[in-house]
Parts: sequence; structure tokens; C-alpha cells
Amino acid sequence: MNGENKCMNQTNPYLPEAARIVRTYPLTEDVKFFQVRLVDMEKAISFKYSPGQFAMISVLGAGEAPFSISSTPSRPGLLEFCIRKAGTVTNAIFKLKENDHIGIRGPYGNGFPIESMHGKDIIIVMGGLGAAPLRSVLLYCLDNRDIFGRVALLHGAKRPAEMILREEFFALKERNDLECYLTVDADDTGKWKENIGVVTTLFPLLKDINPSKTFAFVCGPPVMYKFVLKELIKLNIPKNQILMTLERRMKCGVGKCGHCAIDYIYTCIDGPVFTYWDVIHMRELI
Amino acid sequence: MKIVKLKKENLFSFLEAISEEAELWAPVQKYENKHSFQLIKDFSQIDLKYTRTILPPKKLFLPPTFNMFLATEQGYEEDFSHATKKILFGVHPCDIHGLLILDRFFQHVFDDPYYSKARQNTLILGLSCWPDENCMCKSTNTHIIEEGYDLFFSELENDYLVWIGSSQGDDCIRIKPGFFDEDITDEDIQIYIKWQNERDKAFQVDINFVAMPDLMELKYENPIWEKLGDACLACGSCSNVCPTCNCYNVLDKPLLNKDTSEIGRCWDACTLESYSEVAGGENFREKRAQRLKLWYTHKLQAYISKYGKPACVGCGRCASTCPVDINVQTVAKALEGKDMDTFWNRLSKEVTK
Amino acid sequence: MKKDKLKIGIYELTGCAGCALLILDCENELVDIFQAADIQSFLMAKSDNIDGELDIALVEGSVSTEKDIEELMDIRKRAEIVVAIGLCSMVGGIQGRFCDEKEWKENFKKVYGDIEMTHTKPIQSKPIDAYIKVDYYLPGCPIGKEQFLNFFTRMLRGNPPERYPQPVCVECKYNENDCLLKNGILCLGPLTSGGCGAICINHNLPCVGCWGPVEGGNWTSEYYLLKEKGFDDELIKNKMANFSGTKIAEVSEQLIK
Ligand SMILES: Cc1cc2nc3c(=O)[nH]c(=O)nc-3n(C[C@H](O)[C@H](O)[C@H](O)COP(=O)(O)OP(=O)(O)OC[C@H]3O[C@@H](n4cnc5c(N)ncnc54)[C@H](O)[C@@H]3O)c2cc1C
Ligand code: SF4
Ligand code: SF4
Ligand code: SF4
Ligand code: SF4
Ligand code: SF4
Ligand code: FES
Repeated sequence: MNGENKCMNQTNPYLPEAARIVRTYPLTEDVKFFQVRLVDMEKAISFKYSPGQFAMISVLGAGEAPFSISSTPSRPGLLEFCIRKAGTVTNAIFKLKENDHIGIRGPYGNGFPIESMHGKDIIIVMGGLGAAPLRSVLLYCLDNRDIFGRVALLHGAKRPAEMILREEFFALKERNDLECYLTVDADDTGKWKENIGVVTTLFPLLKDINPSKTFAFVCGPPVMYKFVLKELIKLNIPKNQILMTLERRMKCGVGKCGHCAIDYIYTCIDGPVFTYWDVIHMRELI
Repeated sequence: MKIVKLKKENLFSFLEAISEEAELWAPVQKYENKHSFQLIKDFSQIDLKYTRTILPPKKLFLPPTFNMFLATEQGYEEDFSHATKKILFGVHPCDIHGLLILDRFFQHVFDDPYYSKARQNTLILGLSCWPDENCMCKSTNTHIIEEGYDLFFSELENDYLVWIGSSQGDDCIRIKPGFFDEDITDEDIQIYIKWQNERDKAFQVDINFVAMPDLMELKYENPIWEKLGDACLACGSCSNVCPTCNCYNVLDKPLLNKDTSEIGRCWDACTLESYSEVAGGENFREKRAQRLKLWYTHKLQAYISKYGKPACVGCGRCASTCPVDINVQTVAKALEGKDMDTFWNRLSKEVTK
Repeated sequence: MKKDKLKIGIYELTGCAGCALLILDCENELVDIFQAADIQSFLMAKSDNIDGELDIALVEGSVSTEKDIEELMDIRKRAEIVVAIGLCSMVGGIQGRFCDEKEWKENFKKVYGDIEMTHTKPIQSKPIDAYIKVDYYLPGCPIGKEQFLNFFTRMLRGNPPERYPQPVCVECKYNENDCLLKNGILCLGPLTSGGCGAICINHNLPCVGCWGPVEGGNWTSEYYLLKEKGFDDELIKNKMANFSGTKIAEVSEQLIK
């Protein structure tokens, strides 16, 4: 992916495409789900991206911000996003209703090298809004189930009400071609039947990992990484097979504005997906 | 490469002839000893003896503020009004190297049309120069130029040697063929070589740039950065004047009573506090020292990943601009473990914030 | 997406009324402004003012009498969003430059003698956020036209105003000015909130700090720099305190003993 421009607009990467909101509903108190379609049908169908890539979404008068694409390229036509209310742009997005206009440009970023993982085992570890980019990986694996080995999902949230897309994940528990483990830090409902504890307490459930053919995907709040990475290292998964996404401030998404720089690495074009091995060498992160 | 000769007295007539259908921009004295590239209406304004302009040529390709497009729900209207046809005369080697770095940067993976269109519409006419106390291009090896210009004028005694660097440059020469002499004499060559040797000796600053990437790595955690951070005013001027700083911000400016926004762009600087802020008031580089480390990583160690070279072209603008004397020279000296205090002893020792 | 017009009130406490005047001065846009919003109260522009519930209250001027406090408290109660406009309201203004109560009393006596104020009791001038919660700030002395229109348009669409987190030096360099501070002139650009377009330096005059202190300004370094350039403590303190008075009390105390 890296090194070539594959965004929609080949002549001016800054120009958004008009899009409309097809469906939106709340996922938690401060996260909403948005299903979006490009107004130009041809572009909607031919919009090619890979899991882990992001798009810049703009609301007229409010500005623009980057969001991971949560849908999977294996289901073309519609794009899906999980968006948390955080400031100016996200507040404006939250006010939008079905059929309202937004601008979209992209896709940007390197994305996960999922094409090179055929036949491999996949472990997906997500916390909180980390589900946004990793849902794309998960759906991609499920849609192409036969080309992957084992697929395991570990998903953690603070409280049951804060687990985004929980119905979707509960439904996955019914499938027998996937290991799906869910957990909450604390249960304030008294009705939670799954594990209680931080996401690392799920690791003992992963039995008989074959580290050399396993790829791990990690995304979640900053505190989560430290502990999850430790567990993955304990499982002997090679550092360059642990993949994570980094978040930085982004103004352009195309490697020009400089805001996403970590030293001389531009998160928007060199990332946002990095291996643990890459990250260890980033001075500004240590 | 083709080289021809032009009599000095014909320079302005030549510039006039080629700029009939384009704006001519050239160095003009703006303050005592401070210059600026300006749109030329009157040739007597041009100052051929300038050393450096306050802002580098990047201001012509991506102005400090400009609009990229108008946005409405119905569509988007691109605005390339800054990319007029221009001839930029009087660019020194350091600045041409600066443009070559920006070319690389703005074409890396994605092409930035706002930069590229303006760049394509501008002819670069270089001009030889003589170093002052802040020029460092010999140390950065950007004091001579092999590419990146359409024409390059090297001053001899009564003439200019004119290097023709591109087919557009060649077209310019053909507008006034009578002005140009293809017969370059041995004497001319002698004068030119002598001039080159003397210029080489005239540099007052000598920095070992080759050692800088290693020193940046080895001294990344060194307390010198805290000290520099104490002195830095976080004013952003160093980035604004540096010919290879590219950073910018994007603004959505809604128009009153219309469902229209102007989407604009303005220069930003990593030395400013607001640069690395994200939602909720978090800041990835809260301390001035952290921001200076990023700045000097880009200038002394590496710039774009997979390209890897440091971006300083030795123009000396940081040195002639920073109010508290943080610049490539002083930082390089600090990294080499030399006399820090001569520059920053004004700060009391207990200041560490 | 048509909805009720925003109810806006524009109020003046103690100040020169320059900010309110600037709003009136938006001649070409004034009709649009009155059309787009329901201006409930604007003493300078109209007489049929109502003191009801408000979506947005713009407050100019500092608090310098007990009557100001009452009025301000009433505004806060009625308005969903309160915006401090202009330096006086944000920082206390030039009238707020004496940060120390004793110093203020002495000066008050110097100007007014021993007279008793009968209609309202004067107090030391303070920014409005010394008394109430302020949602947004629009810096400037006075605020700028373009800045006000941008603010107004954003608020109409329910978006918060732009912030002014960058120092004057940024726009100063955009305009390719030679740096006065570098040349030994006392310029407060690095410590002052930008947005004014560096208008003073464009005319070769140093920045005096009229847009108020910028976030994260390095007062310590500028102080030592000015000392090195030969300015004395008293002058530096006066210049720094002139417009930024209340907000830099601590700084100047620390630096200048
Ligand atoms: C690659 C990538 C993918 C992302 N995916 C998602 C997602 O799927 N869902 C989601 O809810 N959020 C996601 N974010 C974070 C999201 O971009 C920010 O929450 C958003 O920019 C906040 O903008 P705002 O205007 O609402 O907030 P403000 O605070 O008003 O914005 C301030 C500025 O900081 C920037 N900014 C603020 N927070 C962040 C952040 N965490 N990361 C990057 N820039 C930030 C904004 O661009 C803006 O310019 C992602 C960020 C990145 C970099
Ligand atoms: S830095 Fe070098 S190229 Fe630039 S003006 Fe000085 S001498 Fe000329
Ligand atoms: S290094 Fe100098 S020019 Fe750069 S931000 Fe700091 S004080 Fe300003
Ligand atoms: S040094 Fe700073 S302002 Fe300059 S290009 Fe690098 S990140 Fe941008
Ligand atoms: S770092 Fe300084 S000397 Fe080097 S290119 Fe930038 S302004 Fe010129
Ligand atoms: S003149 Fe003043 S405002 Fe301009 S750069 Fe220098 S210090 Fe900053
Ligand atoms: S977001 Fe602009 S460079 Fe990465």
C-alpha cells in the first residue's frame, strides 16, 4: 500500500466527495454509528480500501477530522464509522441525521497488510473505541473465513453499557469458527454473563497458540497497550507480527501538514498501522 | 549543460523582455539590510547584492495563508489563484536546494496540487552570492547547484555566466538571442574559478553536519534540550522563515448567511504550543524542549521517512531571525558540547520549567 | 434545518465601548447579522431592549463596580453561553493593571481624592471570569472585525469559535516583518495572543500586548532577554503588566522582586 496514492481524487487529494448519511444510531452514551454512502454511485461502488485505513470526514463550517473505516472492503457500497464525541468536528457530526450531507476523502494510511496473512492465525485484541478499526479486520476475516487459520477476538470495555457494537459481538459468540471472548472492567448492571476484569484477564483462554504463524492486532486506549503487549510477548508472538494503530493529530491525511509526525515518520502515510517492532524504535513515543 | 554569457548592463532589459506575460519577482530591500522577494514594477528596486530574504521562496508556492477551495453542499470549487505565472529572479543556491527538498516532500506519495501548480508556473532564475556571517551552505554542501533552476546567473566582473538548466530556460534565452554570447573565453573561466575559490574561503561558519545525525541520536535525552526549551519563546518564527519547513494548518471559514465555507490553509510551526494539541486539551509535545527536538530532528537528522536526509540547507535564516539565538549554529555547537553559556547565560540557573 | 433564531444579547460593563462599536462598524454585514439572529439587547444599537432568556450573551468590559457584578450575575443566569469579548472582559483591561489591592486603593485616591461614590461602589477592576464561568473568549482591544464575523457565523451554526492560541509573531512573520525584538526593541509579540494581523509591527511599532497574554507564553525568557538588551526592571514590568495585568500578576512577582 505504502508509496502509492490510491485515494479517490487523483488530481486533488484535498477535495472531499459529497456523501450522505444512510443510517445512524447511538452505540454508547458518547459513541455513534454512522453508515454513509458517497452521492456518486460509481465512486461509491469503486471505493477501494483495506482494513485499518481511515478517511477524512468534513462537516461544512465545523472542519474535518480523521476516522477509521469500520466496515469491510468485502462489502462494498457503504462505509461505516464509529465516532466518539470529542470536540468541534465530532460534535457537529453528532448533530447530523439520516440523509444529511458530509464530505469524505480518502482512503488514507497504510492499512493492515491483511493480504499477506492468508493461512495465518489471527488474534484481535480491542478495547473501547479500538473496535472501530479492528471491526474492519474482523469482518474481513469472517467474510473470507476459509483463507485464514484460527481467528480469536478479545474485546474489553469499562462497563457493559460502554461496549460498542455489543449485539454484533454477542451474535459472533454463536459461531463455531471463531473464538470470541468479551469482558468488562466492572459490571454495574448485575446482568453481565461474560468475563469481568481487564482485557488481559482473557489471555489464559487462548490455548495452544502457534506463535510463528500468528498475527496479533491491538487497538485501544493508551493504557491498554502496555499490558496487552506484555501478554503477547509472553505468548512468543514475534514483535513484527504484532500490529497496532497509532493516533496523532491529523490535518491533511496525505503527508503534508506535518501534524501527525513522530520524529520523521508521518503517521498518516507511514501508518497509522505499525508493528510493535517499529514502535519500539520511535524515540518520541518512549 | 549549455553556458552562455550576458553583459551586466543587459540584465534588466532581458528580465523585462521575458516577463511580459508573467509576474517578475525579485529581491528588494525591505529594511536596512533585510530583503524580501517582491513583485517588481520598477527595475531599480531590485537589489542584486542581497544575501538572504526574510521569508524564503516557499512563500510564492504556498503563501502563508490562502484558500484551497470553496465548499458547499452542492460541490467544491478549487481556488488556484495563488499559482499565477511567475518568474522568480535572484534565487541563491541554498534556496534552490530548499525548493528541491520541498519538491520531494510535496510529491511524496501524494502530489500536493497547490504546491505543484504554482511550482510548474514559476521559472527559477538563480543568482550567485557571497556568504555573510550566518551563511552555512558550505557546511551543508548546498553552496553550489546542479539542478533545480531554469537559468542560473554567475556574476563575473562585467558579465554573467548563464547556465541553462531547462528547456524553458532555453526558450527565455531565445527571446533575446542578441544579448547572449556563446563564446566564453579562457579569461572568463579564470575569473570564474578564482571567484569560486575565494567564495569558498569566505565562509565564516563551519559546522560538521556529517556528525549531526549521530549526535542527535546520542544526545536525545541530554539536558541541553531543557536548557534550549527554557530559552525558546515558542514564537514559531524559525519554522516560518526556514525554506524547508512545510507544516500548515487547515481552516474552515464559514461565510455569513450562506451555506458556504472557505477552506483555507495557513503556515503552522511545530515550535508553537498549539501544534501538537489534540481533543480534550491533551498535548503530545507540551514542553518547548520536546518541540525543539522535533525541529532539530528534521533539520539535522532526518526529514521524510524513506528519504532520510536532514533538511537544513544552511541558509542562515534561523540565525538571523530567532530572538533568543536558538539556531542551527548554536544548537550544533551545543550538541558538540561547546560553549552553551555564551548563548543562553541570560537564563537564571534555577529556571527549568 | 431551519430552527428558531438564536437569541443574542450584547452587554457593556466597564470599558471604552470600543468592542461594541466594532460590531456596529460591520456596516456591510450588519443587516445580515440582525437578520440571522434575534438581537434582544444591544444598548448601543437599539432602544427596545429586552432582558429575557438568551442563547448567547456577549460581554464587553471589566467588572469595576458592584453594579457591574449584579448585572453580570444576571446575565449569567439568563444566558446559555457567555462570551467575554475584548481584553477588558477577558483580562481586566488597562484599568485592571494594578494587580495589588493596596496599589489600586492608592491610585484610586490619587485620581478621585476622598470623595464617596454614591450611585455604586467602585471595586478593583477584574475580568469577568473572576465572578462567573465564561464559555468562550474573543481576545482583542478592540476585537477584530473579521474575527467577530467568523465567531458570529460559527456560533450561528452551533460551532464553537476559533481559538487564538498563537502569538503575534506568527502573523508578524506571515507579513515578512523584520523582528524588532531581535533588533533590541521591546516587543511583546511572543507573549501576546495573535489574531490582530501584527498590525503594529507592520507599521514598524512594537507589540504592546493589547490582545492579552497568549497561552504558554515564555515570560521568563523574554524578561531575561530584555534585561540583556538593557531594559530596566520597572520598564519591563510596566510594559508587561499594561494589558495583561491580572493574568500575569504571578509571573511579574516571580521575576521582578
Ligand atoms: C487514524 C485515526 C483514526 C481515528 N479513528 C477514529 C474513529 O474511528 N472514531 C473516533 O471517534 N475517533 C477516531 N479518531 C480520533 C478523531 O479523529 C478525533 O477524535 C477527532 O479528530 C476530534 O476532532 P474534534 O474536532 O471533534 O475535536 P477538537 O478537540 O475540537 O479537535 C482539535 C483538533 O485536534 C485534532 N484531534 C483531536 N483529537 C485527536 C485524536 N485523538 N487523534 C487525532 N487528531 C485529533 C482534530 O483534528 C482537531 O484538529 C481517529 C484519529 C486518527 C488519527
Ligand atoms: S547560504 Fe550560501 S547559497 Fe545561501 S545566500 Fe549564503 S552563501 Fe549564498
Ligand atoms: S527557537 Fe527561536 S525562533 Fe524558534 S520558536 Fe523558539 S524562540 Fe522562536
Ligand atoms: S521542523 Fe517543525 S515546522 Fe518544520 S517541517 Fe518539521 S515539524 Fe514542520
Ligand atoms: S535550519 Fe536554519 S539554516 Fe537550515 S535551512 Fe532552516 S532556516 Fe536555513
Ligand atoms: S517583531 Fe515582535 S511580533 Fe514580530 S516576530 Fe519580532 S517579537 Fe514577534
Ligand atoms: S496528517 Fe498531515 S502530515 Fe499526516
